[in-house]
Amino acid sequence: MKGTNPFAFKFNTMALVLIPVAVGINYVGKLFASVLKLPLWLDSVGTILAAMLAGPWIGAITGLINNIIYGLTIDPGSAFYAITSVAIGLTAGILAYMGWTKNWTLAFLMGLVVALVAAIVSTPINILLWGGQTGNIWGDLVFAAIIARDLPLLLASFTGELVVDLIDKVATVLVSYIIYRSLPKRFLIAFNNENKTEKF
Amino acid sequence: MKVYTLYVPGKTYIHKMNPLTKLLYLAVAIAIPFIAPDPAITMACFLIGIFILGWAKVLHRVIYLLAMSILFISTIFIIQGLYYPGNTTPYLILGKLTFYKEGLIHAMVISFRLVNIMISASVLVLTTRPSDLISSAVRRGISPRLGYVMSSVLQIIPQMATTADTIMDAQKSRGLETEGNLKTRLKAYIPLLGPLVLGSLVSAQERAMALEVRAFNATGKRTFLQNEEDYTVSKAINAIIILALILTIIWRIYS
Amino acid sequence: MKIKVDNLGFRYTGGKERALEGITFTVNQGEFIGIMGKNKSGKSTLASALVGLIPHFFKGAMRGNVYIDGLDTQETPIAELCQKVGIVFQNPFNQISGAKLTVYEEVSFGLENIGLPRNQMIERIEEVLELFGIAHLKDRNPFSLSGGQMQRLALACIMALRPEIVVLDEPTSQLDPLGVEEVYKSIAKLKEKGLTVLLIEHKTEYLAEYSDKILLLENGKLKNYDTPERIFGTNPGIQAPVYTQVCQALNKPKENGLYPVTLKDTIPLLKG
Repeated sequence: MKGTNPFAFKFNTMALVLIPVAVGINYVGKLFASVLKLPLWLDSVGTILAAMLAGPWIGAITGLINNIIYGLTIDPGSAFYAITSVAIGLTAGILAYMGWTKNWTLAFLMGLVVALVAAIVSTPINILLWGGQTGNIWGDLVFAAIIARDLPLLLASFTGELVVDLIDKVATVLVSYIIYRSLPKRFLIAFNNENKTEKF
Repeated sequence: MKVYTLYVPGKTYIHKMNPLTKLLYLAVAIAIPFIAPDPAITMACFLIGIFILGWAKVLHRVIYLLAMSILFISTIFIIQGLYYPGNTTPYLILGKLTFYKEGLIHAMVISFRLVNIMISASVLVLTTRPSDLISSAVRRGISPRLGYVMSSVLQIIPQMATTADTIMDAQKSRGLETEGNLKTRLKAYIPLLGPLVLGSLVSAQERAMALEVRAFNATGKRTFLQNEEDYTVSKAINAIIILALILTIIWRIYS
Repeated sequence: MKIKVDNLGFRYTGGKERALEGITFTVNQGEFIGIMGKNKSGKSTLASALVGLIPHFFKGAMRGNVYIDGLDTQETPIAELCQKVGIVFQNPFNQISGAKLTVYEEVSFGLENIGLPRNQMIERIEEVLELFGIAHLKDRNPFSLSGGQMQRLALACIMALRPEIVVLDEPTSQLDPLGVEEVYKSIAKLKEKGLTVLLIEHKTEYLAEYSDKILLLENGKLKNYDTPERIFGTNPGIQAPVYTQVCQALNKPKENGLYPVTLKDTIPLLKG
């Protein structure tokens, strides 16, 4: 949030308690998307909200813990993508600090940047682990189509991943933005580390 | 209260082993096939993993995990077999599609690696209570505050899932459309997630207060209610695991 | 003197009005103080100030001082204050740490934080579980308890830190009648043990029965601080216990001219 030093590495209890809640929001956000049969995952609303509310580090830690916990409980493979989640949290936190939560246009741009960062970070992981595939049917179709034309693996893998991320991450950031703007002001204050009690 | 975990309780030696040793094993067993991309070495890692899982009596659980990845593995074979950049030798022709030998071999290496990752991860995940792993890590110097965050995630997620059900029922009874065309379904998303976020932030603040008044921010040395298990054998096992890693690196350099 | 509040004022960051202003009072060792007032009158803010959540957790502008057992709350961290003064909040659910899998381990949370040796920890855990009647639940998951049980667990967790003062911020407002009764049995035990207790409560029958004195707040200011009989007799704006209302209607005052506030004092008046 604007006004807070985005890199202060000291967290109050409020910010720490936000992390498990944000991981929970990721989970439920994904759950609602699948219940409504939306063609999106929307599985990082919590990470982005945490970054908007409490800064890039809390966003990054939320992303990290989110994927580690998934790795330990439901899907071991997701632990590798912890790096992507960390990047998403950092990016959203820095952009929020720069004031990109002011209006719809900026929020939309934030979605584009987050998608781009997510695709850039995920691509090497995809190449290293699965020869470039994304693990998503649409992404893999794009990947196959490009690689079939004898274009470079890197390009194919990146494009495949970006196709998957673009719509999903823009939607995720916009959803987070709508919810962020609707929160009572006291929450925006509560997560700020730098407020002090003074005398009057 | 259900806690989401794949952990299978048991009394085998693998269950009692130091969680951090299993974490070390996991890291090394995943790293070795990348350091030494030789099918025989990957196979060896895979077989050791299978052996340990059999010892821990959880092998049947892994089959379920592997079944979930069959679809993904088949797409690897299709895509690499058809389009792997190093493809030169046709191996199988199905109508208009030509599968190449190089691509299929590459797909095999990737799939083996994937299966090896799942097997090695299962050794840790299926035989270790997440809370034991976290408390071992805290004893070894991870911040207790971070430890708190990790362990509370495991309890908070199932609770929030329950709240999600409640919100869904409440909003539906107020006439929220959750079925129909894409636009209708998209519109329903915020009325579902918004109240949950607000409610959980209120809870977060109250919980933060409750933690504070239980000395969560204390700066002195902490103590533990549970005595740590005796993990002396672990040190020897740790040494063997690290030795395996070193040998692999040496093999890579000289081959 | 156990608690000394001196000209306390507070305004939350972002808040327009002062939540508390010019509050001054003292509480002696072993006294049971009821705190009353309408919504937004500053009751919870006062509770937060008594345990150090103001100024350490809630930020804003503060004036005056709060001394707990001689310690200035502004200069003492909450982690230290909590061994002098404990607090139980309204919502039982949100007081569970979420980090522990059983009731027994839940009590250890605060004790681990203050670095208590293991043998003393076990002794204290067993003592408080027994005291509040939840020893039989010790292996259950804290979240699986009923509201009343959870609230007694919250009390046990606080009492394990051995504070001499306990603040109870509407501890039964979210419980069913059975839970209310269970929690009041536990509150009676605090009184028996001679602890200094401050109870924020809307149910005036309970307040009147337990309190030595009642502190009445209005719009963030201290309106009145006196015995229950005088508080309910001289403040017509507040809801008096049903016993007082009955005796007032029947015009049956006590010998001292005041109307009774408890059942115990009402019976002889109505018989005679």
